[in-house]
Amino acid sequence: MGIYLKNIDLKGKTALITGATKGLGRGAAIAIAEAGGNIIAIGRNQSELNTLKKEVKKFKVNYLPFNCDVNNYNRMKLFISKLKKLDILVNNAGTNIPEPFLKVKKSSMETLLNVNTKSVFNVAQLCANQIIKLKRKSGSIINISSIFGLVAGQKRTVYSMTKFGVEGLTKGMALDLAKHNIRVNSVCPNIVLTPRTKKYFADKKYNKYIKENTPMNKVVTVSDVATSITFLASEAASMITGASIIIDGGWTAK
Amino acid sequence: MLKKINLKNKIALVTGAGKGLGKACAVALAEAGAKVIILSRTKSDLIKVNKIIKKTKGSSKSFVCDVTNLDDLKKVLNKINRLDILVNNAGNNRPQHFTKVSQENMEYLTNLNMKAAFNVAQLCSQKMVKAKNRREIGGSIIHMSSQLGRVGCEGRNVYNMNKFGVEGLARGMAFELAPYNIRVNTVCPTFVETPMVKKFFKNKKFKSKMLKNIPLGRVAKESDVATAVAFLAADSSEMITGTSLLVDGGWTAQ
Repeated sequence: MGIYLKNIDLKGKTALITGATKGLGRGAAIAIAEAGGNIIAIGRNQSELNTLKKEVKKFKVNYLPFNCDVNNYNRMKLFISKLKKLDILVNNAGTNIPEPFLKVKKSSMETLLNVNTKSVFNVAQLCANQIIKLKRKSGSIINISSIFGLVAGQKRTVYSMTKFGVEGLTKGMALDLAKHNIRVNSVCPNIVLTPRTKKYFADKKYNKYIKENTPMNKVVTVSDVATSITFLASEAASMITGASIIIDGGWTAK
Repeated sequence: MLKKINLKNKIALVTGAGKGLGKACAVALAEAGAKVIILSRTKSDLIKVNKIIKKTKGSSKSFVCDVTNLDDLKKVLNKINRLDILVNNAGNNRPQHFTKVSQENMEYLTNLNMKAAFNVAQLCSQKMVKAKNRREIGGSIIHMSSQLGRVGCEGRNVYNMNKFGVEGLARGMAFELAPYNIRVNTVCPTFVETPMVKKFFKNKKFKSKMLKNIPLGRVAKESDVATAVAFLAADSSEMITGTSLLVDGGWTAQ
């Protein structure tokens, strides 16, 4: 800590990350560990949870994995209510099933609403209650949103509905949790190259669409997003709440 | 995975660097490793800031300059060879009810907060794009905006007009400078403990009314804003452009 520059430092803090084994969640877990934070990783794949352990442990922080589907409310509730330490939530688990509006299946709509909206709400509520119960001095919740939480995109009606919702939830939570000194923000990345989005990038037309809409003409990396998440998690961002960090190379500025 | 706030080998120019936020930004950028060029109208202020930067083992150079004087500004910028970062900070406020705003105040604020901000940004951008390796090393321009660049507030109509304008300028610039890998963003703080705000807060009724509008229940510290500026200046925010980083304790989330 300098006179005016606050470091991105998470020593002594504990962060719970959902969807922690792949893509942005995995990136956030590693970046937070790198900043000194202890990691509680929620994921559905045991072997990936084990692999993450090796990557996180390099930074000499604690690692607690929990093999669980975030949609399983009762198991999540029991687990979170028993945590002895919790300061940070990276509310990341989410998915997408791109379909044109007229063809959206009822089942895909329900899947997206369950994962991206209901579970995001439930995990946030459970963690906020636990942070308050543990009487932590401060807390930080980062909801993973998207540029499609701010603008529309092709075949993204349901995704936009859920991510615009996350933006609203973020602001509402920020107001309700301010008196507990828990800050709530979102990050809104452009389409990041992750295991889930690999197939989109494989489509030449879509690839062109992404490049043409990104003035910086570069693809956002997992590290770009993980860095913003870690910044928001830390005291370096202690007056930032109810905000969205947009990591989109200028997509939404147009 | 984590991109630290590191400005080694970067040259940064900060306007209005003698006091308040400009001073804090100058010191923070120096603390992150940048060589800092500071501009202010007041020589004695510049000497003080140089001393603080020296104490933190940073490096700085100062020029007395009134940014509203275009000839003066051009003369100073001609003495600078290279520039990677601009913190376009110089600004002021003279609150008055809309029906009572004097021509003099409207002209003064608009000349400083908009015209000079535009001129500084344009001249510095022209310098930045000239560097042959600009695409490779990138550049970053941060405009000091305000929460009042996003929402209205009593007695702030001219300031609102100016800062909303700066928000627009930042987006336009982001689009046009993206091909050079120069990013352009704004920082939107709430009330900060600066000499300017201390003056406004002598009015106790105004102070308590404003504090009620900040969900976190406190004003921002200069270090909160300076850290956000350093984050946007560094490669930590490599894919963030055309956006506003709100440092407002939740003011605009409501």
